[in-house]
Amino acid sequence: MSLWSRWVSLLDRREGGEPLALVRALTGAVILIILWRDWGIVEPLWLHVDHGGYRVLDSPGWLIAQLGGCTPEVIYGLMTTCAVSAALLTVGVLPRLAALACLQLLLALTRINGHASGSDDLLITNALWILVLADSAATLSLWCRLKTGAWRSTRQVMAWPRYLFIGQLVLLYGTTGLQKVSAHWVPGGDLGALYYILQQPAWMRRELPWLADVYSLTQLATLGTWLFEVGSPLLLLAYWYRATRQRSGRLRSLLNRLNFRTAFALTGVSLHAGIHVLMDIGPFSLITLAMYPALWHPDEWRARLRLSSEPQQRPQPTSPPRTPARPAE
Amino acid sequence: MPPSTAFWPHLRALLVTAHIIAVFAAAFPSPTGGMNRSTWKDPTVQAEMVAWGARLSIPPDELETRLWRLAKTFMASRAVILAPFQPYYRHAGTHQAWNMFVAPHRNPARLHIELDRGGDWETIYISRDPTLTWKAPLLDHSRARAALFRYSWRHYRGSFRKLGQWLAAEAASDFPGADRMRLRWYRYQTPTPQQVADNTSPPGHFESARTYSLEALR
Repeated sequence: MSLWSRWVSLLDRREGGEPLALVRALTGAVILIILWRDWGIVEPLWLHVDHGGYRVLDSPGWLIAQLGGCTPEVIYGLMTTCAVSAALLTVGVLPRLAALACLQLLLALTRINGHASGSDDLLITNALWILVLADSAATLSLWCRLKTGAWRSTRQVMAWPRYLFIGQLVLLYGTTGLQKVSAHWVPGGDLGALYYILQQPAWMRRELPWLADVYSLTQLATLGTWLFEVGSPLLLLAYWYRATRQRSGRLRSLLNRLNFRTAFALTGVSLHAGIHVLMDIGPFSLITLAMYPALWHPDEWRARLRLSSEPQQRPQPTSPPRTPARPAE
Repeated sequence: MPPSTAFWPHLRALLVTAHIIAVFAAAFPSPTGGMNRSTWKDPTVQAEMVAWGARLSIPPDELETRLWRLAKTFMASRAVILAPFQPYYRHAGTHQAWNMFVAPHRNPARLHIELDRGGDWETIYISRDPTLTWKAPLLDHSRARAALFRYSWRHYRGSFRKLGQWLAAEAASDFPGADRMRLRWYRYQTPTPQQVADNTSPPGHFESARTYSLEALR
């Protein structure tokens, strides 16, 4: 079998829809949080100077230009529409359309004032594009409930959007790690990066007068963060080794024994929890963590959540079942 | 197997591959956002040149010149490679730029906002000060933090001036008795653990002060 054939075969796989449903619901919820947080700062940051903004915004993008510019009616209208779309995405109704609407609206809004935009905006739109392509409401959605009478379904969905979420996480961590080239980051230096970053007034959540007392801990955290990010491509290797666990090899055996993926996820959650407690960099950690459910196969989610592979159907008290229960697919 | 069924998996694989190439190319490490030569003269960047120069046994000036040339060539090639993907990035929101916290900013600045009510200057806001919080819900918001981080660099002074005008109009309304408002950055070097222990943190200085008459804005 050629490499291309194997690639085609990999992307042709189907599986249960639980991970994508969880990513979809969490992404929608994060967008609702973002819109709620941004609602109060619309006037200075996103409105035209004639309507109370501080920068002249003459080229805000095609959508806003078509609608009449950065006026309060247009901007609050777009935010409201985006919130409705995010709510639909969260509950899983017309998810592709809802994701597309959220994507285009967030692109329009966050491009108004590039100075007030950050990496979280980029990550959200990337997640939304994958959700546009994914069948994310096959299960754990209102759509599923309306169509089948049950919240859960065993309907199989394409697995490749889940793979893209995993790839996005690895790309995010890996390339940010490779770009941490400061002498304060890389091993062999003073490992003082986090100590100094946590003193930057732009990003600190509050003053940390005790920081110098725990300098050694910040050095350890610096090294841990750098190794986690630079080493994140190993996650892809861990998946490969997991899928080929019957083969021999010391590294394969080691990574499988360590359960590298769980260690990766726990480290990532700890990293983002630390960022959230000590820094204010917007919803970056939330949207990153919203992609984490994609790390596990649907069968693993079912096992962890103690879900049976058969969904519970809504009871039909008016008439007895006329056909036997459909076997699991 | 019908031809259409056989064709689609290959086309899908092709499209997914194109997506992966596009996002990988955009995310590949680059000095995006750092191609302003004046910012390379910032003490934080210069300290990195000295540290890496020592490690690589290259004089810092020479290292900087070499890196600048390399960066220019790299960015020109990158622009050519990314050009075909630009519509995909723009319309599908798939652009990637993960150069986050590449180096700690050792010489950050805090925004100070002060009022003149006919006597001495009275401070009403300092970044991250829990007691001086005028307009803090706005200025402490993560979007405003991103903007203010940029405005503490000299090449954003035009936008900083516009923000100052907006803040002055707000101050004219919030403080009817005030005559003037002043904005300025307090720039300082973040202390090392040893300097904290010895209580010898280096002193900072104010810069880029802008004063606005509030009378004219009422």
